[in-house]
Amino acid sequence: MLKHLFKLIWNKKKQHFVLMLEILVSFLVIFAVFTMVVYYYKNYRKPINFEYEHVWAIQYQTEGRPGRDDSLMMFHDALRNQLKAMPEIEAVSFTSQNVPFAMSSTQNNIAYEGVRATGVNDYMAEDDYNKVLGLTLQSGRWFSKADAGQKYRPVVINETLKEKLFGNKEAVGQLVDKESANPLKVIGVVNDIKDKGDYKPSGYGMYRKADTGAYHWMRVMLIKVSPKANTAFEGRLYRSLSSYLKNATIEIEHLSEKRTSMNNFTLVPMIILMIVAGFLVLNVALGLFGVLWYNINRRRSEIGLRRAIGATGQSISRQLVSEALVLCTIALIVGCFFAVQFPLLHVFDMETGVYLTAIGLSILFIYVLVMICSFYPGRQAATIYPAVALHED
Amino acid sequence: MLKNYFKIAIAVLKRRKFFTFISLFGISFTLTILIVLTAFLDHLISPQYPDTKRNRSLYITVAQMVDDKKGYYSNGPLSYYFLDKYVHSLKTPEKVAISSIFTPTNTYVNNKKLVINVKYTNVEFWDVHDFAFLEGRSYTAQEITNGDRVAVITEKTKLAYFGEASAVGKYIETDNVQYRVAGVVKNVPITILFSYGDMFLPYTLAKTDRNNKEYSGMYTGMILAKSKADLPRIQEEYQQVVAKVPLDGKEYNKFYSNADTYLASFTRTMFGKEQDSGKSKFIMWVGIFALFFMLLPTLNLININISRIMERSSEIGVRKAFGASSKTLVYQFIIENIILTLIGGILGILFSVIILAVINNSELLPNVILTVNVTVLAWALLTCLVFGLFSGVYPAWRMSRLQVVAALKAQ
Repeated sequence: MLKHLFKLIWNKKKQHFVLMLEILVSFLVIFAVFTMVVYYYKNYRKPINFEYEHVWAIQYQTEGRPGRDDSLMMFHDALRNQLKAMPEIEAVSFTSQNVPFAMSSTQNNIAYEGVRATGVNDYMAEDDYNKVLGLTLQSGRWFSKADAGQKYRPVVINETLKEKLFGNKEAVGQLVDKESANPLKVIGVVNDIKDKGDYKPSGYGMYRKADTGAYHWMRVMLIKVSPKANTAFEGRLYRSLSSYLKNATIEIEHLSEKRTSMNNFTLVPMIILMIVAGFLVLNVALGLFGVLWYNINRRRSEIGLRRAIGATGQSISRQLVSEALVLCTIALIVGCFFAVQFPLLHVFDMETGVYLTAIGLSILFIYVLVMICSFYPGRQAATIYPAVALHED
Repeated sequence: MLKNYFKIAIAVLKRRKFFTFISLFGISFTLTILIVLTAFLDHLISPQYPDTKRNRSLYITVAQMVDDKKGYYSNGPLSYYFLDKYVHSLKTPEKVAISSIFTPTNTYVNNKKLVINVKYTNVEFWDVHDFAFLEGRSYTAQEITNGDRVAVITEKTKLAYFGEASAVGKYIETDNVQYRVAGVVKNVPITILFSYGDMFLPYTLAKTDRNNKEYSGMYTGMILAKSKADLPRIQEEYQQVVAKVPLDGKEYNKFYSNADTYLASFTRTMFGKEQDSGKSKFIMWVGIFALFFMLLPTLNLININISRIMERSSEIGVRKAFGASSKTLVYQFIIENIILTLIGGILGILFSVIILAVINNSELLPNVILTVNVTVLAWALLTCLVFGLFSGVYPAWRMSRLQVVAALKAQ
């Protein structure tokens, strides 16, 4: 049966060539769209693992800070105490520019016994950082006063980085970057946080405790406020900050708003792409429908003859639908050949599973599309009366 | 003759309305998307308020600092010090505008938070741009040297802070500093990065970067040439200056910076590599995208057209039997196709006007008004013709090869 259908199509290969090319191109477009959708959905499903409501990021650009290490520390301690004294503020931490949902990122490399992780997000944190963001620890502990005066600088890593460097082994207590001048000691593992937006993966992450030198260039702090904190409080906070940080440009941002805009950065292009792809598919579907319908009208006498020698209406429509499906299978085989190159050649930095799911979904999508488009023409063909069709010729 | 073809084309279109609908839908939709995209690109690339002299302007936006031995690499905007010392001193340009990358500041009016993006500029910034002043004037060179706290604000900021009343002479407070409003200008779209801001201040008031003697900072430069012909000479002069920039005591040993045209200044950040601006790469990618995007509807059209010729086999047979050459038939069919695509094109233009109006009204992009202008229209028409030609040639060629006997027998 299949062989016979294949032969039918092969005989008209010239006529079907453009149709197959069209299905092939649509497959590739759908594949691209599904790859993105699957990728974003996979990330979306993962828990966010931190608190962003009632967390504010305060940027302060200033040159009016003390230059010496000890007075700089005192300057920041005083500011921190002043902020913590406010009843609306629950926790404060100075940090690096890469706060959650910020555009900027700081990346580093880190190695453990020959395994090397590149592009590790490097966060500068203080003792209260985990309280501000509500980070959850998997094992070990967060920074504390006890870390002062230790031989190695403490570091907390996230789950993804732990799996990359240590696999199933225990990470807490190990030294990373042993070969370098300043090795780091892992004291804790936190759950991955999606700080680049709901649709982006967390990636590798490590949190280093801010040392004295870091305060020279740190220009951001994160504060956790109580739900009572309103705009009036924000205005008050702003004024007290600018009276303390003389000559500074200060900006207060809410993480919840930053999250929305960060998500929009991902979603808006995605939605535009999907609208465009949707119209393209509709276009193709209409075209396919028209062509198949037309072909059936041209094959009236053939269908009439088959009906006359005993084929049922159902078998006629089944034949036409399966012909269309065989046609699209040929196109899909060629299409898969191209699509498979993406995971094989690692064109983009994505897991193979994402590509495979996308290929599967696209194949399913194209089959369903072709079936829908050929179903109605097939039904039409089934209603052809042999007497009428044969009489015409 | 053409009139005849036109009549036939209309008659054919009327015959099978479903097919006509599919063809027109495909063409008009594809064109709509292309027109909306080109309108957006056009908005980004062609001169816009307030940066209207873009054709004779060059932009110095970033510099790369590299130490190839230590693997140090840094890429970013420049300092006022550098731009003033090395760019302002160029001999060929007419004016050099220096302005900071906008920084957001907060102000709190009546328990409402207002984010004001501040840009620090020199005085030539106002000469290089064509700002439309609704009230007042820009600040003068004297006010800048004195360090007077004067500001030019946009209409949006004025409305949010002062309301409808005139703002000139009043005081606006942001970042806990009070500034006297010298003028109010029409809003600037955020897509014009080097000119965008809600509030413009003299560079002498900048809180940071004032004593910065490094080369990297937060400023960008805009060079206005006397004429377009001067642009290559300015680029050359700037390269000579950059080559001689002293690097003693810096943590890098190579310093690259370019004075680019507007488009190149963007493509450099995306595709550029050292001396190559990446402009050709950008155009190539845009072209590939457009081609790929047009491929599907074109294939669809070819498919439908192939089906439709068969419908007309008797007509073709008769014409051939009476001596029409293949060339004439191909010619006719292509013309018919172009007529079809042109009708689709007109529909597409109508749709895109509607879509652009929706985008403009939705405030998706603040202060951005997208329009179908002459450039966009010309592009759309060209696309139409290419479409008609592409989707007409193959079916026409197949049609012209029909045997007279076979064609006549089919009915």
